[in-house]
Amino acid sequence: MRVRARYAKDGRLRFISAIDLGRVWERALRKADLPIGYSEGFTPHPKVSFPDALALGCASTGEYVELTFAVPVDVDRTVAAFNAAAPEGLRILDATEVVDGAPRIAKWLRASLWDLRYASYDEGGLDNGVRALAHAEHLPVDRERKGTTTRLDLRPALHMIASLHNAVRVILHHTEPPFRPTEVHQSLCATGGLAGLDAPRLVTRVAQGSPEADGLREALSGRLLPLVPHDSTVAAG
Amino acid sequence: MSQPTTAQSVWPRLEPLLTGVRKPARYVGGEDNIVVKDHAGTDARWLLIYPDAYEIGQPNQGIQVLYEVLNEQDRTVAERAFAPWPDMEQLMRERDIPLFSLENHLALRAFDVVGFSLAAEVGYTNLLNCLDLGGLALRAADRGDDDPLVIIGGHAAFNPEPLAPFVDIAVAGDGEEFVLELNELIASTRRAGSDLSRTDLQERVAGIDGAYVPAFYEPRYTSDGRLAGTFPRRSGVPYRVPKRTVSDLDQWPYPKKQLVPLTETVHERYAVEIFRGCTRGCRFCQAGMITRPVRERSKETVKAMVAEGVANTGLNEVGLLSLSSADHSEILGMCGDLADTYEGTATSLSLPSTRVDAFNVELADELIRNGRRTGLTFAPEAGSERMRRVINKMVTEADMLRTAETAFANGWRHIKLYFMIGLPTERDEDVIAIADLGLKVLAIGREYGRKNKVTVSVGGFVPKPHTPFQWCAQDRPEELQRKLGLIKSRVASDRNLNLRYHDPEPGVMEGLLARGDRRVADAVERAFRLGARFDGWHEHYDHGRWMQACDEAGVDVDWFCYRERGEDEVMAWDHVDSGLERDWLWSDLQDAVREKPLDDCRWIPCYDCGVCPGLDLAHQTKHLPLHAGQS
Repeated sequence: MRVRARYAKDGRLRFISAIDLGRVWERALRKADLPIGYSEGFTPHPKVSFPDALALGCASTGEYVELTFAVPVDVDRTVAAFNAAAPEGLRILDATEVVDGAPRIAKWLRASLWDLRYASYDEGGLDNGVRALAHAEHLPVDRERKGTTTRLDLRPALHMIASLHNAVRVILHHTEPPFRPTEVHQSLCATGGLAGLDAPRLVTRVAQGSPEADGLREALSGRLLPLVPHDSTVAAG
Repeated sequence: MSQPTTAQSVWPRLEPLLTGVRKPARYVGGEDNIVVKDHAGTDARWLLIYPDAYEIGQPNQGIQVLYEVLNEQDRTVAERAFAPWPDMEQLMRERDIPLFSLENHLALRAFDVVGFSLAAEVGYTNLLNCLDLGGLALRAADRGDDDPLVIIGGHAAFNPEPLAPFVDIAVAGDGEEFVLELNELIASTRRAGSDLSRTDLQERVAGIDGAYVPAFYEPRYTSDGRLAGTFPRRSGVPYRVPKRTVSDLDQWPYPKKQLVPLTETVHERYAVEIFRGCTRGCRFCQAGMITRPVRERSKETVKAMVAEGVANTGLNEVGLLSLSSADHSEILGMCGDLADTYEGTATSLSLPSTRVDAFNVELADELIRNGRRTGLTFAPEAGSERMRRVINKMVTEADMLRTAETAFANGWRHIKLYFMIGLPTERDEDVIAIADLGLKVLAIGREYGRKNKVTVSVGGFVPKPHTPFQWCAQDRPEELQRKLGLIKSRVASDRNLNLRYHDPEPGVMEGLLARGDRRVADAVERAFRLGARFDGWHEHYDHGRWMQACDEAGVDVDWFCYRERGEDEVMAWDHVDSGLERDWLWSDLQDAVREKPLDDCRWIPCYDCGVCPGLDLAHQTKHLPLHAGQS
């Protein structure tokens, strides 16, 4: 039986890599004594798969996993048992059985809603920066890799962006190569005219799903999440 | 002693740095089974430090056991810290962030006792760095009444002299009972509200059996620079400080709730010691000599611990640890029962330290059942039978080859063989015999599979305190290189024989710290000041820097490392009583030189090494005396 879950990774767990997180998942499943299925062969691996990886240091309430159990399980009880066994910072938020023939979860993960939380900010400044980004034709960002710098345009990946108090909320399309929330910050500094802005104190992936005109449709529940709660101004991209 | 203060967590200052350093999971804590206590209302606060990187130190069994033993006490808190990697150290120094614990992220100075576990000598400069980053004066004499007590334990503490000026207390032997006694002393002192001076506190600590307070002892030297002795400077402290020995391991069933790291560490297993001590009598082996007598944990306790340990951790590997695991009197039943329990599950069992014989293969078969038979490891330690008689590693070549044959015949595909070079009385033919033995084992392997492999791993021997070889000269790195060349030239042509060896230079520092006296402390401090850190890491060890430090501190490396000592020479560790009679150690060395082996006293009559009567203990084993003791 296959179960698809949305989970949170936050707190201290933000600082462990995707590979480490896989091991934490496997141990928590064993500790919870859940009947996870194993691959065949001499070194069996538990059937746990992750559609994508979160950058180290980011928190998330929008990570996904697919679990294959050896026997049918009760989804709610499975979630409760897992959450009791998992270390602080890892918990399943929502889970559902996958019916045979259902498309792979990755198909629905087409964009991410990010929240960049700033420690010190000038509200008007953030707002102006965000507007500048929303209206720019190109958003050049420099990406350094193995000593060489490549200039990329963030603009086509930017679906929507808004500011809310000390936060910047942004929906980024999943492109190839993918853009990172740190590159939105880089754009705010460069194109947004906020040259002195300190890096965000906390970056959170709020959710993943399909981009829509007024927000993001969360992949597992199908719920529409507006870019920001309704009491604030949204600068459409 | 300071009263509990509302110490500030360094976390808010640390957190923004974490994405800028390598492997930030080293610094965050948050592991499964972590114990986080509020310091308010506690009487004693311990910081347990393994002076190496998190991934090396966290699996350490000693820290894990003491962490649980202490945290089970009410009004006591024990937290952990590790040496920060150089990238983190740099940021900490730039931003004035002190060495911190992983539980509450509190500074070292927020603790009453700072305990270092020293499994080996290579952590000494990291120990100084931890003290320095913690804001403590390096030398105990320069610390104030409110500063924490600094204590060292672990195997390397059996010669505490190279660290003597930096520590308040050293304790040799098992820590479980000792830490509780020290804890009670600290807590009762606090409860009494007494404002003790540092010296008064040290004096009380010195009253605990096994506590060595270096400040109360003074080394004296002869006019030619030899040690005349290490003498008490005040009345009431013993001439020789005894090691501590726990007698019934079933009374100490730790770890119960082993910490489960969030990030990869060198061992990912639930580890249970199946016995402590070893009387195989290998003459090079400090661990075997200093942990006598043998104290077995019962099969039933081991099984109960494994069941609970696996359930509490979710780990899928179980390590049955000891110095020679196949020697447990109930090993076959224990392995059989555990293999039955976990057959068909993803949980695997391992015996990390085993001897060279067919019984060992039988055990390995039992543990792995239908799993993949990849590598088996054996440690003949020396290549020739003559050399093995010298070191008392009693396995004949015929035994060795028969064991290899059994292993390959049972489907094992890779045999790893561990050897040492630079052993006392070694000749070139003994070294060449290492290569030849490797090739003979490989030839047997080939009969069972064209792709079967043999790995020959070679390390340089470093003489250690409290062993029969403590009087012997260590080989110089150039000599070890030459001997390695003898092996290399014989095995180079065979692709299925993989030769592994270490750079011999760090062995010089290891030998110096192992057998150094209190004068060597100046070289340790100098090396630290010159930037030495992580000396056990190939990429960090700088031999030139260490030699410069010795030079500047006036420490003659040749004299400490490469010189053979006479029978009567006073050793820097003679006042640390491991229980072994010096006369017995010397006579065992004479036997070694005469190539005369000595059997295991679990099955032959006592030969008076001195340990049992001194401790008023005997072996705790179900082996019958004068019995082969094997299946």
